[in-house]
Amino acid sequence: MKLERRRLDNGLRIAVAPIADLRSTAVLLAVEAGAWFEPIGRAGVARLAAQTMLRGTRSKSASAFADAMDDLGAVARLDVGSHAAIFSAQCLRDDLGALLGLMAEVLRTPSLAPDDVEFVRGQTLAQLERDERDTRAVVDRVWRELVYPKLHPFHAPAIGDAAVVRAVTTDEIREYHQTAIRPDGAILVVAGAAPTDVVEQAAQRAFADWRVTAPRLVRKIPEAVLTATVRRTEVVPDKTQSDVLIGWPGMPRTDPRFVAARVTNMVYAADTFASRAGNVIRDQLGLAYYVFSGMGSSRGQSPWIVRMGVNPQNVNRAIEVALDELRKVTLGDIADDDLALAKDKLVGELDVALESPGGVASMVMEAELFDLGEDHFERYPRELRAVSKEQVVDTARTFLPPERHAAVVAGPPLPDIAA
Amino acid sequence: MIHALEARHAPVVSLWVWYHVGGRNEVPGTTGMSHFLEHMLFKGTPSHPKGDLDRLLARYGAQWNAFTNEDVTCYFETIPKARYATALELEADRMRNALVSVEETEAERTVIVSEREGLENDPSFLLGEELQAVAFSRHPYGQGVIGSKDEIKLMSRDGLYAHYRRFYAPNNAYVVVAGDDDAERLADMAAAAFASLEPSKDLGEPPKAPEPPQRGERRILVRRAGGTLPLVMMAYHAPRASDPTAPSLTALAVALSGTSGGSDGASGRSSRLHRAIVEKGLATDVDASFRLTKDPNLFWVDATLRPEIAHADVEKALLAELDRIAQEPITEAEFARVRRQLMAATAFATDTVTWRAYRCGEILSTGAAGSIADWYDKLAAVTRDQITEAAAATFSERSRNVGWFVPEAAD
Repeated sequence: MKLERRRLDNGLRIAVAPIADLRSTAVLLAVEAGAWFEPIGRAGVARLAAQTMLRGTRSKSASAFADAMDDLGAVARLDVGSHAAIFSAQCLRDDLGALLGLMAEVLRTPSLAPDDVEFVRGQTLAQLERDERDTRAVVDRVWRELVYPKLHPFHAPAIGDAAVVRAVTTDEIREYHQTAIRPDGAILVVAGAAPTDVVEQAAQRAFADWRVTAPRLVRKIPEAVLTATVRRTEVVPDKTQSDVLIGWPGMPRTDPRFVAARVTNMVYAADTFASRAGNVIRDQLGLAYYVFSGMGSSRGQSPWIVRMGVNPQNVNRAIEVALDELRKVTLGDIADDDLALAKDKLVGELDVALESPGGVASMVMEAELFDLGEDHFERYPRELRAVSKEQVVDTARTFLPPERHAAVVAGPPLPDIAA
Repeated sequence: MIHALEARHAPVVSLWVWYHVGGRNEVPGTTGMSHFLEHMLFKGTPSHPKGDLDRLLARYGAQWNAFTNEDVTCYFETIPKARYATALELEADRMRNALVSVEETEAERTVIVSEREGLENDPSFLLGEELQAVAFSRHPYGQGVIGSKDEIKLMSRDGLYAHYRRFYAPNNAYVVVAGDDDAERLADMAAAAFASLEPSKDLGEPPKAPEPPQRGERRILVRRAGGTLPLVMMAYHAPRASDPTAPSLTALAVALSGTSGGSDGASGRSSRLHRAIVEKGLATDVDASFRLTKDPNLFWVDATLRPEIAHADVEKALLAELDRIAQEPITEAEFARVRRQLMAATAFATDTVTWRAYRCGEILSTGAAGSIADWYDKLAAVTRDQITEAAAATFSERSRNVGWFVPEAAD
């Protein structure tokens, strides 16, 4: 993969991965405006601001902006994650300049009109209401409440807290935009048909005079600690299947143990077919259709979680088996071939991810966002290969203690309540 | 039949094997059999016992999976190009040598029930399944794909194995491969891998159960406590993929709701339904879709309502928009946007090796066109008037099926 980097005077960093023989270009623009940077106790403000920004700019009404985006045939969205707000898009090769121009308008000069705030508030409250009967959303929300202190940015999902969403004012949205949507710390990644000089010129036109206009909010983040096992069962009426989430607070992406953690995750449960939890729970026992684990990438203790969809009759057993498999990992009961398989898979996936401009852009964004180094893509496969069984055991014992976990079940009433 | 495409931008190959068997080939009592069988194809062969396939492909970092729909069952692997021969060997092996044991059938049955139960948690699935059943009185498309829970529980190993031996054979399959090599070489390697396999002698005739014309609107209500937001769905009878109007219907769906879906995104917001339904505060999401299928199927329109909005109001607004697009051509500006979105969506999909191969297989297996380029040309040739004509031919009260999901309070 060819990767070239540039930096604008205002601090915006640019990374370009040109790919020959394509007709389109994938664009990711990350601004440090995720939950991590949200005002304390105002969960949902970042997402409300992002969605309102998409509803028109000072020079384009919502309708004119919609026309302009669809005139390009581009796809675009602005999502608020745990660390960054990421504008992700794809456009045809010759439209990159126009697309970056529209993205710049959204970020720099959104109209943020009261009517638009009300529209987004209505949409968001409806989605929050839907989430109350969505088992997957319920386990996610309740699990966060159990694991993260109330003032922690990960205490609530990105959609936020209903009370905050109801109360947010237009002024608050505007103030958040002014302090959080800024070029310093922002990263533009472009992968695909556009060559580097074209990207650089287009980025200069769109972002060179973007300036910081207010001091950044600095937030003190409390530590998340699980001192004992906590379990919660939430009955969601008229459902057939239970959603199960077992998890722990994870580690920052910049932690030197993160690479070993990725291998640990793969050995344990990352893949329904290749990891041991899926192998036993789905393949041997037929208890669930899906079982997988995931660990987030952020500056903080992102969730490290296992998810399963299970018949209510089998919930307790599935949880027990998932924890039994984890216990084996912590005791070093890991076959050499299982460890080799996990590492092979993670290294092999790096090659396969090159098949799409979006896949390339995502890999590059992670490396840039967390300052993983200019030689990251050369080092990373070697670092994965070098992870030892001892490191896997140590990571599991430190971060995934089976005797101290938080588990949430949402769905029909259980025949035998888990906790 | 083998089709190969070059995709030189990444060191990977994506191999897809399409079997002409799906929900369309099933009858009451065996619904879900093709999908159940898809699961059994991961349970090993004499050469590659259970788990072998998983571990081998995982070791190469493969992206791999399978799906079943009304028309086909499909298996794919996207792998580093150096491992292409291995993927071919695995797919050729399981085309004729899968072990479908009694023990593994029993073990997998609960997994499939679990898959179905997961779907049942979603009000859209519940309403869509019932509406599809109402829309078809004869054609097996009305049965869906995953099958009823009771029939999944009754499925026998012998029935599955007979289905396998009948339909999994080189004379009932398409192989589509896209990757970082000369197309001829990719095709030759595939031909060599599958050449010696025994054909099925029992394919029989393709299923024939033409759906009689619908003579008037059909309506259903689904009342459940398992969701909080009301839904309105409409399904109109529409032609098959090989029909000359299929490209116009594809464009019609884009004119109505764009290409990307989801109200959180910044795209598709210039579409007719987004403006009339979402922007007016009636619904959180709205969508219109036309799928390429072998037999005449349905054109779907659906909306997720805001909590305080009445079903009748949204249905009325949807019908007004469908009438409008059926009566007067979209503007030149709208038409230009629809064309651009269609062309861009084609480029986006085919710039990913996996989706380039998928798109080719979908177009070939349904008879929509002879190649991706051919389908692209057909889309590019659609005129404004053809979109209006497609809407007028489709959105008729006589062929309309309407479903409402009505949330109820919990007991």
